[in-house]
Amino acid sequence: MTDGIRVAALDDVPEGEGIAIDKAIIGTEDNVALLRDTDGGLWALNDTCTHEDASLADGWVEDGYVECPLHSSKFCLKNGEVQGLPATRDTCPHRVEVRDGEVYLFPNQTP
Amino acid sequence: MNVVIVGGGIAGVSTAAALRAGGFDGDLTLVDAGEFPYDRPPLSKDYLTGAKDLGRIALQPPQWYDEQAVRLINRTRVTGLRPGGVELQDGTLLPADRVVLATGGGAARPPIPGCERAHVLRTAEDADRLRAVLRPGARVLVVGAGLIGAEVASSAVDLGCEVVLADPVARPLAAAVGAELAAWLHERHAVRGITTVQAGVESFEDGAVLAGGREEFDAVVLGVGMVPETALAEAAGLRVDRRIVVNTGQVTSNPAILAVGDSARSRDGHWEAAQHDGARAAATILGAPPPPPAAPWFWTDRHGRHVEAVGHMAQADRTVLRGSFADPAFSVFGLRDGLVVAAAAVDDPNAVRAARRMIDRRIPADPARLGDPAVNLRTLLRP
Repeated sequence: MTDGIRVAALDDVPEGEGIAIDKAIIGTEDNVALLRDTDGGLWALNDTCTHEDASLADGWVEDGYVECPLHSSKFCLKNGEVQGLPATRDTCPHRVEVRDGEVYLFPNQTP
Repeated sequence: MNVVIVGGGIAGVSTAAALRAGGFDGDLTLVDAGEFPYDRPPLSKDYLTGAKDLGRIALQPPQWYDEQAVRLINRTRVTGLRPGGVELQDGTLLPADRVVLATGGGAARPPIPGCERAHVLRTAEDADRLRAVLRPGARVLVVGAGLIGAEVASSAVDLGCEVVLADPVARPLAAAVGAELAAWLHERHAVRGITTVQAGVESFEDGAVLAGGREEFDAVVLGVGMVPETALAEAAGLRVDRRIVVNTGQVTSNPAILAVGDSARSRDGHWEAAQHDGARAAATILGAPPPPPAAPWFWTDRHGRHVEAVGHMAQADRTVLRGSFADPAFSVFGLRDGLVVAAAAVDDPNAVRAARRMIDRRIPADPARLGDPAVNLRTLLRP
């Protein structure tokens, strides 16, 4: 696991958007949202919003946060901290690395 | 400094959160009539159907109040505003340098015979009473097909009820989402088996008198609007014009008293607008710059579809449809003088997120590209 799990090519994740990685592939409790910020940074959070059953991979990514597509709860891309109601609980961040255009995920490791 | 917030709805809790987030280090007390502050949108949806209990719709987890040093006084009402503080129903005087009224509103009950026996939906207790009668097979009349009425009708069908939905307006929500989408949304009720009646109700005695005559119902639900709760403000001599009159910093006619949320807003708005009120009130108390204004936004969930709208569709002089009403997801943009002024979407929330940025940042948009589902709306935000 020291090298991480290759989960996508960087080009699979458009800027300002996200894609969901199936938990069955990476052995996590929840699917993981790979999210690409508007400055190009790549981040990974648990995919399900802590407020209601919505996929953060379908959310709006901008300026260091992702906004849930259902009720606009915001989560910090870096650490998963909730930044606004209606969600009240943080979500889990995961470490990602990009090597040669490939995205490697380190499940449950702090970024 | 002592701040006492009266009312634990989204406006009151947001005020407390924004004060602490802004560095307020004084005493902060929140007085709420309920068990704890909870979120109201689920009352007509997941709470009403039983999918979520009260704990699941708490606005903040119990430990938040300790972590944020917010003293929560629950199951208590404020009975009066006094010089230097507020009086609780047991006679306790809470000292306060600033008071924030977040007293919300009650459900409107029009002066129609028998109206007092109808169900309304503002609190968890209201929802509990209503849920007890929404049994499979129950015949339910919902009066008012706006946000609350439409959501209650949807939930009642989910629970197996036979539903009649009455509203004198042909296309409820037309001002918010545009006439075409309003008509489409209203038609979804019939698709789910709801009988829609374009009529008001003349009487609730012995059932209900609708346009077609008297009919029997097991339950009648009113969703016809809200009456701001202004009694405390009026008793304290504050200026009230249907709602508590406030300036842009949420300050009432008494500089020591602010008001937020449904009891105070002088403009249209829903859940998020109340949150913004709280942020502005906190900025005023902190002497900080107010947060920037933002286009009004709301969502509604009915019949398994997620609907969002932002801005003022009534201001638009043309609309652009992105996708088709037959698509799983589509959106409508309202433009005026080349600028986006509103958008409404069904199961296409990021179209609304893009639109709200176009509105708030006054970014001109090419109608042809707006209406082309193949164009990524994010690209329209870039200079």
